[in-house]
Amino acid sequence: MSATMAAVSVDLTARARELPAKEFREVVFHVEDLGVSYNGNAALQDVSLEIYRNFVTAFIGPSGCGKSTFIRCFNHLNGLIPGAVVEGKILYHGEDLYGPHVDPVEVRKRIGMVFQKPNPFPKSIYDNVAFGPRVLGMTDRLDDRVERALEQAALWDEVKDRLKASALSLSGGQQQRLCIARCLAVEPEVILMDEPASALDPIATTRIEDLMHELKRDYTIIVVTHNMQQAARVADMTAFFSITRGEEGQRTGILVEYDATSKIFTQPSDKRTEDYVTGRFG
Amino acid sequence: MSPADSASVKGLRVSFQEELEALQANLQEESEFVLRSLRGAINALQQRDVELADEVIAFDDEVDDRYLAIGQGIEQLLARQTPVAVDLRLVLAVLHINLGLERMADLCVTIAKLTKLTAELEHDATLIEAFEEMGSRAEEMIRVAMTSFAERDLVGAESLVDLDELIDRANRRFVKHVLELGNDPELREWGTRMIIVSRCLERIGDHAVDIGEQTAYLVTGEFREFTDASHPDQ
Amino acid sequence: MSASAGSLRSDRPRGRWVGRLFYGFLLFSLVLGFATLGALLVQVFLEGYKWVDLVLFLEPPSADPLIAGAEPAILATIFLGVLLILFTVPLGVGTAIYLEEYADRERWYNRLLEVNIQNLAAVPSIVYGILGLAFLVRGIGLGRVLLAGAMILTLLVLPTVIIAAREAIRAVPDSIRQGAYALGATKWQVVWRQVLPAATPGIATGSILATSRGLGETAPLLLVGALTYVSFNPTLLGEFTALPVQIYQWVSRPQEEFRTLAAAAIIVLLGILLTLNATAIWIRNRYERRW
Repeated sequence: MSATMAAVSVDLTARARELPAKEFREVVFHVEDLGVSYNGNAALQDVSLEIYRNFVTAFIGPSGCGKSTFIRCFNHLNGLIPGAVVEGKILYHGEDLYGPHVDPVEVRKRIGMVFQKPNPFPKSIYDNVAFGPRVLGMTDRLDDRVERALEQAALWDEVKDRLKASALSLSGGQQQRLCIARCLAVEPEVILMDEPASALDPIATTRIEDLMHELKRDYTIIVVTHNMQQAARVADMTAFFSITRGEEGQRTGILVEYDATSKIFTQPSDKRTEDYVTGRFG
Repeated sequence: MSPADSASVKGLRVSFQEELEALQANLQEESEFVLRSLRGAINALQQRDVELADEVIAFDDEVDDRYLAIGQGIEQLLARQTPVAVDLRLVLAVLHINLGLERMADLCVTIAKLTKLTAELEHDATLIEAFEEMGSRAEEMIRVAMTSFAERDLVGAESLVDLDELIDRANRRFVKHVLELGNDPELREWGTRMIIVSRCLERIGDHAVDIGEQTAYLVTGEFREFTDASHPDQ
Repeated sequence: MSASAGSLRSDRPRGRWVGRLFYGFLLFSLVLGFATLGALLVQVFLEGYKWVDLVLFLEPPSADPLIAGAEPAILATIFLGVLLILFTVPLGVGTAIYLEEYADRERWYNRLLEVNIQNLAAVPSIVYGILGLAFLVRGIGLGRVLLAGAMILTLLVLPTVIIAAREAIRAVPDSIRQGAYALGATKWQVVWRQVLPAATPGIATGSILATSRGLGETAPLLLVGALTYVSFNPTLLGEFTALPVQIYQWVSRPQEEFRTLAAAAIIVLLGILLTLNATAIWIRNRYERRW
């Protein structure tokens, strides 16, 4: 081939954003036929999927479809609600989360959670971040832990001079990042986020989304969001939940489609998914 | 704004920024490929080199690959990032330019095919030289168009109109000369085919002007044709 | 004809008058209540302020009004206050924590407990006195001592402290608990490290207010054996009196001067109670949380 026409192969950065093929994905959670009911009423049923390591996985769907219920199964928070019954299996690295002798404290050490409304403790910024390590007995090099957690949550520069100030003096976006730092301080493997940005203004929301991009290098993230565009922006895999009605009109959540986000938002397999993401059905 | 504040404001939606930049980088790379194609086609034409012409035709696959990849990249960007304002105009401009570049590459293939077809025919050496001038003009227009796009240079983009005028004139002159070639049937066949080649080069120039119009759209937000074929004096 | 045309003047003058009448009635109630109270206080103050001096604080009572003081009564009241807080806070807070954080509301015994706490707060204080006499003084043989008085006042005041502590604990948002659980805290850690610290201002305020109410009670103390004439300073297991009792005793004396002394003692008692209440309010204001 002449020198003029020698083609140079260039790595298209856009292509590199494609997800690794299935064989290369590491499974963190294997969910099989999961169902949750409150006082006999099924809120969620027959959910089966796998969550992959270092992915951001989003759960989307209309209100009442059970996505918040589902995410709370991963860290046993449903156990705090009287009358909640979980059926089916969630295997965490092969171990059943709901097996006998499973200690919720051990589960929550490895699987942390950030809530919809920022809920900093009414203590100083330092004590907020140090709370987790303290209750879990991780008190060595506490100052380093706190600093590292705040850095990872992109909050250190803003608060390093006032660690003793009350956490409630921070803005909403800062409080949410503080809650993320709090969660990171115990060095979890997985971070669950239940609508983490829905109470925040757009710039704070974007900061949280950018944070998710950075954090997924070291952590596995599952996020529930009612904002579809947010799922489109941040998630690698997206699970769409919807509501079915039983014979007596009872509403139960089900998993409709679970696929790479790029597919869900360009060519979903299920019509219900397409109706939802195009906004034609709420 | 404190240094920490301004740094963090610039740093928002980093991955989105990177995707936009990657898209534009791919576009620039596609234009490099088109330039290579064009240079190859012109050389093959002038040297009547059939092997080189074959290479040009094969090389079009590379351009098509880039074209598809950029198309997919645009689809993903629109679906996942919902760009607005200047970002939206940028993505739409990239979409149009992508199309234009692919067309240009197809035109180079046409030139190469015609080179092969007329390789054994009688030819007029002086007329062939005209192609060097037109080809260089087209190359220059592609470069100016892509540079103006990269630098968001409105003046540079608008200068393409004048450059295109030169190619148009060269095309008209060429047609005139071919009509004066005489009665030799081989020569006439050659001349007819070469008119198509000249037309291809002129079309490449037009596509470059379109790229300039996309740059203007990106900068000003207005869809505007620089010159309207149906209203040449405006 | 558009709806907005026409004058902006009110077309319901009667409505306005009813409003004004109601407002007037409110003011009247306010003034009546405060004026009465104010009048009483002013009268007491004017009568007794000249006799609030060191003699009152440092001398024991005596038959001679000029050298009579209320030292034993004042000390006993203060002593009782301290004991009250020491007893009621752990018991009250402990019960409140059990009811709010640990108890299963469905169980019958917990529901019984809930209902009865409200009832207990409404029982007349003299019933507590009889209870104290029967079980503490006679039943376990404690005798007519300060400790018995403290214990009975504790029972009297406890329901209020429990209710106040429960309110303070309930006021801690559930999101705090969820956040703590999500970090891997056990139930005990959540209660001890998050709920209680956050509820402390409310608990402190409630306890102080309940205590100050208890210190003003006379009937139960009388039944449990507060003597009306005590000339020595109180000890834990000794006989005792208290300010309300001392006031009662002086008022029943024939001499005019004793009534004045009683007024002075009232001023002291009011002073103690007002200080306690002011402290409670100060604590509440200082630590008020905005969630």
